[in-house]
Amino acid sequence: MTMSNGISRREAITGFLGLGGAIAGNLGLWAAAEEHPAHPVAPPDAVAMLYDNNLCTGCRACMMACNDANGLPSDTRLSSGLWDMPLDLNSKTKNIIKLCEEPEGRGFAYVKRQCMHCLDPACVTGCPFSALKKSEWGAVTWTSSLCIGCRYCEVACPFDVPKFEWDKWNPKIVKCEFCFDQRLKENMQPACTAVCPTGAVIFGKRADLLEKAKARIAASPAKYYEQRVYGEHEAGGTQVLYLSHVPFQDIGLPKLGPTSLGHYATKVTSVIYKWLSGPLFAAVLLGAAIKRNWNRHEEERPGRERKTGLREQL
Amino acid sequence: MKQPDPTGATLINYWQRGVPVYGEPLVTRTLLFFVGLAALGLALALVRFFSPLGPLSGMNDAYAWGIWKTFNVLTLTALGSGALAVGMAAWVFNRQKLHVVMRTALVTGFLFYATGLLALGFDVGRAWNFYWVLLPWRWNAESAMLEVSVCMPLYCCVFLAFENVPLVLERFYYTGTPNTKERLKQAAPVLRRIYPFMLIGAYVLPLMHQSSLGGLLLLGGTKIHPLWQSACLPLLYLLAAGVAGVGFVTFILLIACLRYSRHLDLDILGELGNLLSCACFVFLAVRFGDLAWRGQLGKAFAFDRMSLLFLFETALILIPAVALRSRKARETPRALLNLATLACLGALLYRFIPTTIAFHPALHAVYFPAVPELLMTIGYIALGIAAFGIAVKFFAILPGDIAEWNYMFKLARQRRLASDSGD
Repeated sequence: MTMSNGISRREAITGFLGLGGAIAGNLGLWAAAEEHPAHPVAPPDAVAMLYDNNLCTGCRACMMACNDANGLPSDTRLSSGLWDMPLDLNSKTKNIIKLCEEPEGRGFAYVKRQCMHCLDPACVTGCPFSALKKSEWGAVTWTSSLCIGCRYCEVACPFDVPKFEWDKWNPKIVKCEFCFDQRLKENMQPACTAVCPTGAVIFGKRADLLEKAKARIAASPAKYYEQRVYGEHEAGGTQVLYLSHVPFQDIGLPKLGPTSLGHYATKVTSVIYKWLSGPLFAAVLLGAAIKRNWNRHEEERPGRERKTGLREQL
Repeated sequence: MKQPDPTGATLINYWQRGVPVYGEPLVTRTLLFFVGLAALGLALALVRFFSPLGPLSGMNDAYAWGIWKTFNVLTLTALGSGALAVGMAAWVFNRQKLHVVMRTALVTGFLFYATGLLALGFDVGRAWNFYWVLLPWRWNAESAMLEVSVCMPLYCCVFLAFENVPLVLERFYYTGTPNTKERLKQAAPVLRRIYPFMLIGAYVLPLMHQSSLGGLLLLGGTKIHPLWQSACLPLLYLLAAGVAGVGFVTFILLIACLRYSRHLDLDILGELGNLLSCACFVFLAVRFGDLAWRGQLGKAFAFDRMSLLFLFETALILIPAVALRSRKARETPRALLNLATLACLGALLYRFIPTTIAFHPALHAVYFPAVPELLMTIGYIALGIAAFGIAVKFFAILPGDIAEWNYMFKLARQRRLASDSGD
């Protein structure tokens, strides 16, 4: 069966391994890839923010503090250069207070928007070279030297948080990083929670803040929509928690299931690509069939070449 | 002028080997048109190299991916998957008849991938950081984006390029000096020894990245309409690549043979039509199985905007699937061309819709490509068309019969003699 110029199965496998060396060399990394549980559990040192729009007066002190702490310019496009007046989170705004009017004159509500610092962030799962990563205490941070500007984070984020500097030649991904470098590392709380005069947004351990939020709900359930904390379970849980007196969807927080997107996106591929077993299995299977057909084709080649008087084309 | 094949008087066996297009001027008005479009697109790409993305594109933070990614890469590389689909049919499933159309599949596949990667290069905002792709310990192995960024250039530049090497060397063999000829003769066995190994990579890698392109959309989560968002997206993206790949090879063979007045080999085209019909049925089976499994069939027949879009896309694939079961349709060139076009459009729509039309970010924003963005996309495609138009005249790509091959050599010899005596 095996011809002198044929290819044994072993040769086929080792050959493929050699050619796919760059990938095969990464076997260890693939195996070490973190699992994504459907419902991630926050580590005990996870920090969080709790925002309660019953307490927010819309003073926007947190926006100024955020710009100061992050060295961001004021967004004055709408105010003829007078003051910071962003329409939404953008490449100059990592944190914003928005006023959301309820339909049919039922009143209004504030909302503070910034990165949610998910327990299992979709942006981190998708980022090809881990420019976005889950840092200490659960802050989601961005490293410029690792970012290729593919903007997958923007596509992946269920909260539409990461922003891209469309007007810069050397664009950055702009999003709240929990004041990680400037303040968290220096043992200070983020600028926005530090400056908030009414305690509408407060900083603490995630477990403590969840407890505090539930205590507030228990004390006056009528003030809280659905008597629950947004962010406890959304998209697998986030490290920014919300209490609201109006429906969460009305203040722009999307309706999301309790499963982490990272789990949904990797539950099949993490099995197929574990140890590269899927591709290697396919290579062996295809290799066996190709070997059989190739050898047969080569055996018949001299006959065909004699018949036509021409060299056979590949 | 063309002599009939002395060995076969009927329609069969017209395609026996690749034969260059000969006896036609290289530069035609059509070619200049496409070269012009390509030049415009590439000039804008050069501008893009020195300019931010904002002024040249309609992209925004809600629709952060524009047509360079969603159309040139996610959608059009499906048309370039003929190299995978027809190649696997020929080498893995031993459909021997298809070997003769492989070169058409390989060249068009290479051009779709190369222009797609070009589009990608000018799309990313921080391309200078892409060198991390060479350092595996920096890879985020669970990212579909990483898989695509490693796998696609590797496939295009190594495996697919290698598959295209023989047809380039063949030209050197027939036009080169006796010295070149001798050296290429010695190299041929080496090439044949490596070839089957490269075939393995050339099929495993696109199986990986064509499914990973669908895998990219999984993280889009609820932003993508439930008729498209599904755990089966990677598999369906791959199956759509199969449909579009076989469909496009059929399409381009018919178009090119009509354009260059080649005989059609209805036996081989019929085989492609049969394959295409099967690919369509497999795609549809998985598509409907998935919708039923997820309980979304109600949404599919709700007859709202998204449902109509779904039904349109499905009809485009269902019509060729059913019609190509008939041998008569498979072996009628016009019917085959129309049906292959429908199948391609259906598969392309399936791949494009979830990236843009059925993609609804929470932010209220609209995306429509800006004029330079469109011109660049058109430019990349025109570049591929122009390159194909030139390649078929230099290399033995389009299938023809042996009489045609011999006639071409006779013509070339006469021309050489004429020019020699003219000196």
